[in-house]
Amino acid sequence: MATRPLDLLQGTLDVLVLRTLTWGPMHGYAVSRSIRQRTDGVIDIEDAPLYKALHRLEHAGFIAAEWGLSENNRKARYYELTAAGRRHLRAEEAVWRQYAAAVFKVLEPT
Amino acid sequence: MRPPRRRFFRLPWRTRRQIRADLETELSFHLDMRVEALVALGLSPDAARAQALREFGDIDDARRYIGAVDTDTEAAQRRSEYMSDLWQDITYAARKLRATPAFTAAAIVTLALGIGANTAIFSVVDHVLLQAPPFPPANRLVRLRFTQQGHGDVATPMDIVDYPTQAKDFVGFSIIDSWTANVVLENGDAEQVRGVQVGANLFDLLRIKPLHGRFFREGEDKAGASNVVVLSEQLWRRDFGGDESAIGKTVRINARSFTIIGVVPAEQRYPFTAEAWTPRVFTAQELSDDSRGARWMSVLGRVKDDVSIDAANTEVRLISQSMEHRFPETYRERRAQILSVQEFTVGDLKKPLYIILTAVVLVLLIACANVANLLLVRASARETEMAIRSALGAGRGRLVRQLMTESVMLSVVGAAIGIGLAKLGMTVLLGHVPPGLVLVQRASIDSRTLAATTLVALAAGLLFGTLPAMQVAGRGVADALRGGGRGAQGKAITGRAKRAIVIGELALAVTLLSGAGLLLRSFNRLMAVDPGFRTESVLSMKMALPQSKYDSTGHRIFVRQLLERAAAVPGVGSVAMTNFVPLDGGGYGFTFNVRGRTYARPSDEPDAEVRQVTPAFFNTMGVPIVRGRGIQDGDAPGAPTVYLVNQTFVKRFFPTENPIGQFIRLGWGGDPNEPYCEIVGVVGDVHGEGLGDAPLPTVYASLAQHPFSSLTLLVRTSASPASLATPLRSIVHDLDREVPVFSVQTMAERVASSVGRQRFYTTLVALFAAVALVLAAVGLYGVIAYAVSQRTHELGIRVALGATSQRISTMVIREGLALTAVGAGLGIVAALAAGSVVASLLFGVTPRDPITLTGVVVVLAAVAMVASWLPARRAARVDPLVAMRGE
Repeated sequence: MATRPLDLLQGTLDVLVLRTLTWGPMHGYAVSRSIRQRTDGVIDIEDAPLYKALHRLEHAGFIAAEWGLSENNRKARYYELTAAGRRHLRAEEAVWRQYAAAVFKVLEPT
Repeated sequence: MRPPRRRFFRLPWRTRRQIRADLETELSFHLDMRVEALVALGLSPDAARAQALREFGDIDDARRYIGAVDTDTEAAQRRSEYMSDLWQDITYAARKLRATPAFTAAAIVTLALGIGANTAIFSVVDHVLLQAPPFPPANRLVRLRFTQQGHGDVATPMDIVDYPTQAKDFVGFSIIDSWTANVVLENGDAEQVRGVQVGANLFDLLRIKPLHGRFFREGEDKAGASNVVVLSEQLWRRDFGGDESAIGKTVRINARSFTIIGVVPAEQRYPFTAEAWTPRVFTAQELSDDSRGARWMSVLGRVKDDVSIDAANTEVRLISQSMEHRFPETYRERRAQILSVQEFTVGDLKKPLYIILTAVVLVLLIACANVANLLLVRASARETEMAIRSALGAGRGRLVRQLMTESVMLSVVGAAIGIGLAKLGMTVLLGHVPPGLVLVQRASIDSRTLAATTLVALAAGLLFGTLPAMQVAGRGVADALRGGGRGAQGKAITGRAKRAIVIGELALAVTLLSGAGLLLRSFNRLMAVDPGFRTESVLSMKMALPQSKYDSTGHRIFVRQLLERAAAVPGVGSVAMTNFVPLDGGGYGFTFNVRGRTYARPSDEPDAEVRQVTPAFFNTMGVPIVRGRGIQDGDAPGAPTVYLVNQTFVKRFFPTENPIGQFIRLGWGGDPNEPYCEIVGVVGDVHGEGLGDAPLPTVYASLAQHPFSSLTLLVRTSASPASLATPLRSIVHDLDREVPVFSVQTMAERVASSVGRQRFYTTLVALFAAVALVLAAVGLYGVIAYAVSQRTHELGIRVALGATSQRISTMVIREGLALTAVGAGLGIVAALAAGSVVASLLFGVTPRDPITLTGVVVVLAAVAMVASWLPARRAARVDPLVAMRGE
């Protein structure tokens, strides 16, 4: 068990955000909570880079944003995966799995 | 909950400030949610906020970063959305236009006709009227125009002495004396070209440079100078193969040798059709006061650049007044004024061209009106579609843009076909240009014209295409939807607009039709005129004997040999020669006096046209000898000179006396000792100047007694006249190959070409009138058909209540005829008002000719009947059940 949260690897956050949004449209806060819960606090995620990632992905056309009403009836910005985002996620996922597998192969005792 | 998706509904574009505000909203939502959650876990609000901010990280950095990214995103989206909207508009418009092929075809054909005709005609007019001649500054190059006692006059050799010495406002003047040049080529063949004898300074006044060689030097127009000639680029290329070595060669012209010194660029010839220029060398006798009465030339001048045209005009007028003062008899009421070269050349072309231009602009107007109407009809039919799109979030701008796209697409396709039509039209047009309209033949399609015309059509399409969109958007979505395409107020407005447009179209068509009708009737009248001579089976052939080579004996021998040999050609009935053939534009006249009558002043002496003929002339031409005898073989040198006169001459000068046996003295060469000669016969009148012009008093003399170098051989034949051309030509060639033969035509062809201009104008205007009529009929049909389709419900009720189909169709036709009546009324008023414009082009018909106007109304009524009957038939077949259920 790690005592200190790990730093985020470059590009990892984008994949995490896209993956999170496959659950459906959600606002930034929900994305933030969801990622934290699913990583069990192992990875240290600040919200500032998260929001930067959301807007960057919007600019790239991988996600689309729209204003909507939150669960408690407040105006919130919802993000939704676009078709291009879905394709991008699939590609990134494959790269990630290969990468992880390669790392595991090295770490695995022979 | 699912938020709305941006792709389908568009929010307004965000400014930089809005982007920042949105970001703050988003961030504060996040922090608030986090604070609430932490407070719920038991933290104090302050501690909760502190933790939320800590978890967030560098919030200012995020603000800067996100602000920049979002601004960029926004711009990119704006661009892509615009492009996709445009593409959407185009594909949508194409789909919509394909879905209504009748409308699309009608609109495109209408536009193509309007644009095509307009471009073709405008190119011609632009070329002739609007483009300055290539001698800048063109308005400073002027011709002197003389009038005497209200009649047009020309220049005497002394004018080229008087004006240059007295005028201070001019750079200079040059004489222009037309000169028939028989150029003998190296292979010995002769060619007759349009030559001109000019002052040595002509080309300096024109301010042009020779293509090769040089132009005249000072003094080359003085007696004693050697013979030099300047050729046109055309002649130089045609006859000298464009070889520069032609410069310096000698060429035989009118049996004299000339040295070729230069070549004039093709487009800079002046006079515009000249081929050879040579200096005019005046004799001492010509440059004396005796020649002030002899007038046959013209004068070109250039006004100094720093002098106003008005001042120059005043100066020449004052000079002409002072000359009258010095020579009150000869120059009685003789005035000079200046006229720009362009004005001078275009002169009598101007009016017909402007009339044709007006006709074509009317056609374009009608075409635009038609397209406008079609678009309006279409827009009304699409009100529901527009309302639905508006309700789904399409803004007014978006709807306008959509309709604009359709209009532009129509205009572009119409214009493309129009260009094709214009090209075709120009070819046909130029193929039928009568020979007199030389300038027109140089015209070619003009891109500026095309652009201008297309813009007009485009503007019309845009204007009327977007009007309905404004209306729909203005009325509001709910109203339009509720209206469901029926009975709303906006409809009444478009309905009125449509009716007004159709009435306007019909009125324009009537105006054009009356113009065309008048021209057609006038042309028929003209063609019905008996020319006074036989036109069928007479062949005419012009030739010119070089004066220096043929003295009067040689001339007589040539004529006798030619007549003998021509008579021997199989198929030839009779042969004659004359100096000026009727309807050919040539001819001259002299003053004369009758023995026993006294005239107070020399200027009171009457004048008559004079023609020289051989004995068989009257027989060959079918001109009757009314009294006395004709010219006989015995009327030769040595025998007393005899004259024949025509009936007009008798009516004018011997209304009560017997002309036969009277003696008259013609001023042949201004010799006061010319003998009085007897009138021995009276012959029928011949329309020699033009079918539309009254015959002039004419004296016929014997060619043998008065030889003339320019000759026309006339041959009457039972065979096809054209088949004689070759044998006759070779006879002349055998007699003397230096005698050029030209203008071989039957008399029927001469009659036809004498009315070539009228035929040309008439055909054009008639063509435009026909197009206008068709377009107006289509417009009327469109409006009535649309009205019927809108009233299906009402008509159904009428049928259900017992209206017969007869009655329904009468009602519909009556509506069409009511529109037609108003349009025709307005059109007739316009036609009457415009009548004076065409009056000068008419012959034997007044501009208010009731038969023409009645005919126009009848034609229009018939066309209107058909245009309203078609929709009426549909209205009459309305099934009440279907009609009422259909709503």
